[in-house]
Amino acid sequence: MKKMIYLSFLIALGIVFQIVESFLSLSWIVPGFKIGFANVCSVYALYLWGYKEMCIVSIMRIFLSSLLQGTLFSISFWLSLSGGILSLLAMAILYKLKKFSIYGVSIAGACFHNIGQVFAVCMIYQQFFMQLFLPLLLALSNVSGFCIGYLTLQIINRTKGRIQYGNL
Amino acid sequence: MTRADKILICIIMLASIVTLIPIFKNKMDSNYVTVKVSNQEVLSLDLSKDGTWDVKGTLGTVTIEIKDRKVRVVQENSPQHLCSKQGFVSSPNVPIVCLPNETVVQIEGSDEEMDTVIQ
Repeated sequence: MKKMIYLSFLIALGIVFQIVESFLSLSWIVPGFKIGFANVCSVYALYLWGYKEMCIVSIMRIFLSSLLQGTLFSISFWLSLSGGILSLLAMAILYKLKKFSIYGVSIAGACFHNIGQVFAVCMIYQQFFMQLFLPLLLALSNVSGFCIGYLTLQIINRTKGRIQYGNL
Repeated sequence: MTRADKILICIIMLASIVTLIPIFKNKMDSNYVTVKVSNQEVLSLDLSKDGTWDVKGTLGTVTIEIKDRKVRVVQENSPQHLCSKQGFVSSPNVPIVCLPNETVVQIEGSDEEMDTVIQ
């Protein structure tokens, strides 16, 4: 019961992060670039419980935030879902390997989110212009993944006494 | 930060550089010439290589010349010789059409310019 409340809190936070971030867009750097603060919730859930809960948080967040924004089952929803699923897979695998710290896990998540999105754009539009941005997006995903990892580490450090964590 | 993290960052940076290479390579030799006879592609030529080629049109051979990144039809058999009168063409938007021979010569490239702008 308590876990369910925490999960729904995390999902709600993720939705707010995603919607607020869509207002303050960083897309003028490279089209499609975001820090992806909503990923903080997913990474936090990964280190709080495990990869199953991370999948719940991330996928529910994608569904509900696109429902609230009115883009459910539109192109931007599929883009976000494909990137989300690929980044979930990457993060779960790296977490299971237990050789990567939180930085590595979140950087891999950001990187594979970008790869999934570019792949989905190429599949949907049948045009290959987005490939031109892939190198830049990959380089920038290091930065955004580092930010997310740092933020999540701060959250974990500050709530350490109150909540039991898995292997950090 | 563990060592695996640093290796991962290096791999991603390397991947981003490696994915840059085909983009630059594509820009260098993106232009090539396609020759179609009766809507079927019979020849695909590199625009940077000079030379002449013969294509079998429906009324006889069509001779195509490439010189200085431009292409033209040198000789063909048709009533009005419109396509050989057209001369050299260097834009991807201007095809050379020889209708009696059902032959179309067109430059294809990624850096297509604007055809016309209607305001």
